[in-house]
Amino acid sequence: MAPAAFSREGGCGLGFDVMMGLLGEGLLLTTQIFFVTLIGSLPLGVLVALARMSRFKPLALFAKFYISILRGTPLMLQLMAIMFGPYYLFGLQMGPDWKFWACDIGFILNYAAYFGEIYRSGIQSIPRGQYEAAEVLGYTRTQTFMKIVLPQVIKRILPAMGNEIITLVKDTSLAFVLGIAEMFSQAKALAAREVSMIPYALAALIYWVFCLVIEFILNRVEKRMDYYHD
Amino acid sequence: MTDMAERNAQKPVVTLTDARKSFGDNQVLKGISLEVCTGDVLAIIGPSGGGKSTLLRCLTLLDRLDGGSLSYGSLAVCAEGASGAAVYGGKEVIKEAKTRFGLVFQDFNLFPHYTVLKNVADPLVSVLKMPKEEADVRGRELLAKMGLDGKEDMVPCELSGGQQQRVAIARALAMNPQVLYFDEPTSALDPELTREVLRVIRELAAEHMTMVIVTHEMAFARDVADKLIFMDGGAVVERGRASQVIESPQHERTRAFLSGYLSD
Repeated sequence: MAPAAFSREGGCGLGFDVMMGLLGEGLLLTTQIFFVTLIGSLPLGVLVALARMSRFKPLALFAKFYISILRGTPLMLQLMAIMFGPYYLFGLQMGPDWKFWACDIGFILNYAAYFGEIYRSGIQSIPRGQYEAAEVLGYTRTQTFMKIVLPQVIKRILPAMGNEIITLVKDTSLAFVLGIAEMFSQAKALAAREVSMIPYALAALIYWVFCLVIEFILNRVEKRMDYYHD
Repeated sequence: MTDMAERNAQKPVVTLTDARKSFGDNQVLKGISLEVCTGDVLAIIGPSGGGKSTLLRCLTLLDRLDGGSLSYGSLAVCAEGASGAAVYGGKEVIKEAKTRFGLVFQDFNLFPHYTVLKNVADPLVSVLKMPKEEADVRGRELLAKMGLDGKEDMVPCELSGGQQQRVAIARALAMNPQVLYFDEPTSALDPELTREVLRVIRELAAEHMTMVIVTHEMAFARDVADKLIFMDGGAVVERGRASQVIESPQHERTRAFLSGYLSD
């Protein structure tokens, strides 16, 4: 199946089905990292945004610092810091599963910083008149946020969120530094063994299809909110 | 109309005494007092930056007074403390006060993601805890009264500015306020749309709705309002019957201000 032109050794490589099987195993882990990150960072981002906008200065300052560090250093280094920090800082021996925890924690903390800033941009873009109209009518602060502000925020931040979620699909490949056999790691191992670029090409194709599915879903959501503009 | 209002029992709806408010060093309200009774239509006119909007924001509790007192009927919203500072009532008082008035904004501030009907009905459900069906019925009634039947299921962005402002008036009226405030309700509208909004306000006046209207429409103020206040520099320069002040202003500054309008 693999064209010889891409493989120096010609015919002695693994079959296409074996390759796809291994990449598929990797994809499972990739998908897992993707969803765990979203489930953790989408709500954590709300806390980051609220802290960042807090009138309590120390909290706002802390959130600012948090965002600055997590956006200002490579995610790869953050993953390594969480992976090896417990040992080098505290002499703790972590179990063999720690790398998966380190991976999830690292991704969640990092993406929460980005999502937090997107939420903040959305919240601050809602005109003050919306809050004032709700206030005069007697809506409580919670009602104002949940019923009036949030639905408008979601519509406004959807394109930016889409960007970030698509980026996450590909960022999951950074888990390879922790020795997690997600799809990119599998492709890398296969490429080395086969002395072929085919596994990379296949991985790229799978990442792209993954993103296509997300784009499709995002487009559907955007369409549903297209019934009004302001 | 004025006679009708006078025949009604004149019960104070809003009483504001010696209202003071500063932003930093800039004193925006320099001791304003006013009383609005049931059926009154009070127009507030004056140059931009004269304190009209701040006055309205303080009356609607969007801003708080530094000094002075404010009550809605017998409900004291804030009273002057020993030091002269305004002391506001607790949460319950504020909540109760907010049921007493409605506000129509210059730029409508409708909720863009709600349909026209939901804009009017949702506050009834969310704030007054009215059953949804009942709220929808009331919403439809008021929209029909504003000449907006058939528009219930549209969203605000599909309406003209004049229609949007009429939805905003319906939304405010739905809450059954004792007094309705208007903050330059036609300033964002062209003359034709202005007319349709002013017509609705005239109709409300004919029904003895108690209203306080900040406006630059002098002819409208003269026709619709019984009382009028001319504000400049954070103080009331002149007050009286609307037609009297507009047709024969006593104060030099009022004359100068009005001449800019009536010359055309």
